[in-house]
Amino acid sequence: MKKEYFVPTAAGEQVNLQMASLFTNIRNKIIEVFKTADEVMRSRAVGTIEYEVEELDNIFGIMVLGAFIGIPSPPIQVTMELFPLMEKELHIMLAKVLTAHDPLGDLFSELDID
Amino acid sequence: MSGEIHFFIGKGGVGKSTTSALTAIHLAHKGHNTLLCSMDPAHNQRDIFDRHFSEKPKQVNRRLAVKEVDADYWIGKYLKETEAQIKKVYSYQSAFNIQSYFSILKYSPGLEEYALLLAFENILDTAKDWDFIIFDMPPTALTMRFFSLPFITLVWLKELLKLRKNIYAKKEIISKIKLGRKEVEQDMVKAKLEGLIDDNRHLQEYFTARETKINLVVNNDRLSFSEAVRTKQKLTEIGIPINRVVVNKVQNNEIRENLRAEFNGYKMTLFPLASEGLLGLEALELYLDENQKVLNDLP
Repeated sequence: MKKEYFVPTAAGEQVNLQMASLFTNIRNKIIEVFKTADEVMRSRAVGTIEYEVEELDNIFGIMVLGAFIGIPSPPIQVTMELFPLMEKELHIMLAKVLTAHDPLGDLFSELDID
Repeated sequence: MSGEIHFFIGKGGVGKSTTSALTAIHLAHKGHNTLLCSMDPAHNQRDIFDRHFSEKPKQVNRRLAVKEVDADYWIGKYLKETEAQIKKVYSYQSAFNIQSYFSILKYSPGLEEYALLLAFENILDTAKDWDFIIFDMPPTALTMRFFSLPFITLVWLKELLKLRKNIYAKKEIISKIKLGRKEVEQDMVKAKLEGLIDDNRHLQEYFTARETKINLVVNNDRLSFSEAVRTKQKLTEIGIPINRVVVNKVQNNEIRENLRAEFNGYKMTLFPLASEGLLGLEALELYLDENQKVLNDLP
């Protein structure tokens, strides 16, 4: 006996394609959500280290460029040699000056303590 | 630079310039190509030779040339180069007003001895085939700062490099967690620090090398003797040995007992007191002729 096969029509094919692209979309969205979540978690995980690195950068800046703010500094030529390469550290130092009146607040906000 | 380097150091007024000039003339007479280099800002060599000297070595006779180090020139050159570099990097410097810092930087403590170090490096780098380079050094205080600068600088540089490495190790951790791979841009500051450490190690090696001889000039009196003892102690602390003790203005070939005892075992050269002032090449040559015995003790 001859089996009856489903004969695809043009309209049916259209429906199939729509379904497929819907699934792909959903799958992509789910992947995206997980990726974002992953990024958020990773950022959170390193937030404290990043804060520490910024503090260390600041300390490095102060050690090398201390002459500019009146604290003991290395032999002046060390400052002079490194100064042109330390734009970032200088920015951090200047930014830290703004929060200098409230260092604990700065630290607490970094550690998510209310 | 393959020859010997001689430093003449000592208290102000003991005769570093005269004894270094006499030594240089003697070496030139023996057929060695000799450069006498005045590092003392007071620049006594021009009075001793009664001629004008500058940064460019000037031949006094066939084998002897004299050069005066101009510390201000080296400070100016160095600051200009650094300023150009800063202007290139800090685009907002006009707002930040770096310029005003620079105008006062030339008065920074420590720049004078650094200028001498730059000049010293330059002399060694550009030296042609001198058999001897004789450095007539400034009085003790500045000379000690000159010798100790590379050592002090290295202490700072090593500490800074340690901190920098610590920062970069943490940055790598951050990048690994965030991006899943170690990806930290090339750290120019770290590279510069390592370069500076190399330079200063190099200088330190020059100071402690076998070809480098420290000649400590003293007079036969108590003041210059006690300063000589302190100088010896300080140099020993930073690992620079004294090679020869030069006693100047000696009368009747006699020197103090404590001077002999303190520097027992060191090479010693006694320069008899000259009957009249030693000014001009002829007078110096005459002195050497009259005091042949001194020559035996010279390098």
